[in-house]
Amino acid sequence: MDYFRHHAAAAAVLLAAASLLAGCSKPAPEQPPPAAPPYHPVASIREVMNSVIDPNVDVVWNAVKTVIDHGKPIEHAPANDEEWAAVRHGAMTVSEGANLLMMPGRAVAPPGAGSLAPGIELAPDQVRALIDKSPSGWNQFARALQDSLQPAIAAIDKKDAQALFEAGDKIDEVCESCHQVFWYPAPGTSAQASAQAR
Amino acid sequence: MKTKIFLVMLVVGAFCAVQPAQAHHAFAAEYDLTKPVTLNGIVTRMEWANPHGWIYLDTKEPNGAVKHWMIETAAPSQLSRHGLKKADFTDGMTAVVKGYQGKTDPGLANGRTLVLKDGRNFYIGSVGGPNDGAEPQ
Repeated sequence: MDYFRHHAAAAAVLLAAASLLAGCSKPAPEQPPPAAPPYHPVASIREVMNSVIDPNVDVVWNAVKTVIDHGKPIEHAPANDEEWAAVRHGAMTVSEGANLLMMPGRAVAPPGAGSLAPGIELAPDQVRALIDKSPSGWNQFARALQDSLQPAIAAIDKKDAQALFEAGDKIDEVCESCHQVFWYPAPGTSAQASAQAR
Repeated sequence: MKTKIFLVMLVVGAFCAVQPAQAHHAFAAEYDLTKPVTLNGIVTRMEWANPHGWIYLDTKEPNGAVKHWMIETAAPSQLSRHGLKKADFTDGMTAVVKGYQGKTDPGLANGRTLVLKDGRNFYIGSVGGPNDGAEPQ
């Protein structure tokens, strides 16, 4: 019993000494509040989609196709350096556009805008709620979009029209997967579940 | 000046008229599930393109007039997966397409199945279409 009493007293002395030392030392410098990000989102997600993603991914998709006119196939593919450069421009713009989608603080749609197809496509506040519920899921889809452009860019750099055509299909799969979670979800779909399933 | 504006509008309008819609939307936002169509006609053109293929089909109206249809299909990779090939689209071929009519454009449809003259039947439905039994199980 004495043994424990003796040790308890020693511990108390040590604790008191440590407290005194701590009191004498300089207080830890205060952490500055996190700086506000230097960027300022101007366009809403809908506007980024309509102005940046959609028109530029169309350039990638339309670059290679076959038009069969009255049974006669006509192959379309970039024919010179300038045309390949234009497609690369489109692919790079979509790749970087994916970063715009991930930036926090961006509104879903312009103020006062509603659903483009009420009852079928979600209203902006509903999309916002889904993004806020699963920001990691949202970002995963945006990264998947970015990643899906990589094979397209590689194909463009090799001037490989067939590979570019095949890459286009994968890009569409990513677009549609995200839209079915965050824009026009099927009943019973949750953003997190779908993102985790990927 | 007015003539110039009119000409520009005419050119833009003509361009828009022959360009398939590209922007993504929910299936039900673009196509009317209450308006199923069965289109029996001549295929004049097929666009084997991403993100959707397009079949151009001429049908004959009861009054004898020709109606031009633009029919959206799945992406080429999916068409291929279901056995359809570019070489299946021959000059003057007849085909029957079942699908759903567009909500705003009466000449637009989304195809679910395509039956060729030789009896071969292909699923051509886009991702996100209705669960109407057209898709092979």
